[in-house]
Amino acid sequence: MQGQSGRQNQSFEFTGRGWEYFRIWIVNVLLTILTLGVYSAWAKVRRLQYFYRNTRLADASFDYHGAPKAILKGRIIAFALLIAYNGAFQFNPKLGLVVGLLLALVMPWLLMRSLRFKLYNSSYRGLRFGFAGKARGAYGAFLKYPILAGLSAYLLAPLAHQRIKQYQFDNSRFGSTAFRFSAAVKGFYLLYLSALAVLAGAVLLAITLALMTGVGEGIQRLVTAFMTAGPTIMLILVAAVLAVSALFSAYMQNLVWGNTELGEHRFFSYVSARRLLWIRITNFVGVVMTLGLYIPFATIRMLRFRLESMGVVVHGDLSDFVSGEQQQATASGEETAEMFDVDISF
Amino acid sequence: MSTSHSDIQVSAAYYDGRTAAGKLVTLSINGEEWLLRSGAGELRWPMSDVSVSERLGNTPRLLRHAAGGHCEIGDQAGLDRLLARAGRRRHWLEGVQHSLIWALAALVLIVVAIAGGYRYVLPWGAEIVAMRVPEVVLQKMGDSTLQTLDRFALKPSTLGAVRQQELSDAFARLQPLADARSRYHIVFRSAPGAGANAFALPDGTIVMLDELVELTKDDNEILSVLAHERGHVERRHAMRMVLQSSVVGLVLAWYVGDVSGLLATAPTIIMQAKYSRDMEREADEYAERTMQLNGLSPCLLANILEKLEASHLARLRGNPSANAEKESEALGYLSSHPATHERSDLLCPAKSSQ
Repeated sequence: MQGQSGRQNQSFEFTGRGWEYFRIWIVNVLLTILTLGVYSAWAKVRRLQYFYRNTRLADASFDYHGAPKAILKGRIIAFALLIAYNGAFQFNPKLGLVVGLLLALVMPWLLMRSLRFKLYNSSYRGLRFGFAGKARGAYGAFLKYPILAGLSAYLLAPLAHQRIKQYQFDNSRFGSTAFRFSAAVKGFYLLYLSALAVLAGAVLLAITLALMTGVGEGIQRLVTAFMTAGPTIMLILVAAVLAVSALFSAYMQNLVWGNTELGEHRFFSYVSARRLLWIRITNFVGVVMTLGLYIPFATIRMLRFRLESMGVVVHGDLSDFVSGEQQQATASGEETAEMFDVDISF
Repeated sequence: MSTSHSDIQVSAAYYDGRTAAGKLVTLSINGEEWLLRSGAGELRWPMSDVSVSERLGNTPRLLRHAAGGHCEIGDQAGLDRLLARAGRRRHWLEGVQHSLIWALAALVLIVVAIAGGYRYVLPWGAEIVAMRVPEVVLQKMGDSTLQTLDRFALKPSTLGAVRQQELSDAFARLQPLADARSRYHIVFRSAPGAGANAFALPDGTIVMLDELVELTKDDNEILSVLAHERGHVERRHAMRMVLQSSVVGLVLAWYVGDVSGLLATAPTIIMQAKYSRDMEREADEYAERTMQLNGLSPCLLANILEKLEASHLARLRGNPSANAEKESEALGYLSSHPATHERSDLLCPAKSSQ
């Protein structure tokens, strides 16, 4: 508990265990079914508490404080929106379009609220996290930039992605200390381009293979190629998509966390894309072979891998943080809970 | 020092809620108070101000004071002894969530709940909802389905206008059961690829295929098929199917969603077959009552059902393509219609005893 000076690397540690989580998970599933989904809000709180409390950094664990009733409220809203959207489309495409448009308009606001809920209800060493993002920023990140990306034939997609992450991280707080996000747009473009390059390479390989094995002219050549080399080509493409998505997911985490600071402390993240791909494939096989019973084990495995691949370069002492303003108003705790009473996760 | 002061001590990390600095304390119970002691001094927390987090695996337990500040306790066993001394009861879920026996029991109960829900609760709920769906919605569903079918699957009928009118009139004369609600009209179409059939849309539109009209010389047999289709409409079968398959789809997407969207769609189709078998029986029963009301024999329906089956089997044999059977099964005809002889026996017992 004593403060240390100087720099040191503190990795996140995840102590969750598959069998232990399996027992919690299966009871959650049962109660969710028996209550026709109502219990899912309580299940979410238990699940997150299990994950947070098993996540440790420098000998202290995280905690989750979300109120099940607030989550239930959020789920009812999300469910109603989903039904309204689907129902409107079935009924009349024009009405569906109107509802879709309205949904797009409220979505950024809802996302902002749910970020607030999520962070405010997370704590470490007795201090709450917080989110100071405003509606204006939310509409920029979740509406303006995605629309620009769409209009530019996705040339601006990496920029939009950066803006979303920037909005999320730059507005986050731990106690009274702000997170700082410094990942430049360039990094996002590089990541998107390398993913695209790998995919293009795979497609090129597939086409070459098709041209080499095909006999005849035109369509006939294509047909014969796919009859002989079809399975190989499919395998190449599937492998490429799997590899690229693992690569993207791993390097995105590294890029985002590797460029985030909290006060004097800098985060680091070294997720290996190869390990991530391996865990994904084996998890998928496990889940399919056990008709889903492996899901809790798969979740724990993935969480442990992702969390233990990152940490904090502690500069000075992690004890120096102090609570933010919201925290000092402890007497009005219930009031704040009322303010952040909606959790919508999409 | 009070005599009730427990000798059990547990070490914990104390955080005051204002800074991230932790302090090592030893925790004990003194009467109605939690006692937090460190080298620097001690804190007394009245038990009524303190909440103890439930046990969740081997995660640290938390003692939270209502006014801020908490203790993080890694020593599960020690805290359990302390709580037992304080006379605190455990929440029933704590036991359930940590026992292997209960996990297995939960697994069995899940299977039972899913099977029971699928077989009994879902059809029951879908019927209740379907019966309350407003006419406008059914009208929309019927219109859009017919439009889609006309675009992709159906051709205009080649029956003469006189013949069409004759059949429509005969159908109009068919007296409905007392509780009938829908208004009906027949549309004539042709579908050379699909074989003899007639089907009902949710709004009461009955699509009659030329191939069915040509299958029999007895118009009363055609009427019996129409009475059967009426059963589908009155009992809102299409709407119930849509509701049921949406729920099944939703649940499967939620469960399998993480794995693959593809896996989620296949079982939905397979599972629907069972529902439509029940619905066919229900429509048969409805037709039987309608026909008795109109002085017609239910055996007429049994007759044409057998003719229909014979014509479909002939189509299968006539088509040498290896895929024909698979195709037909995929279209749901064979799997969704209960064995014809079984239905025929129910409708016309006299016939089977011949």
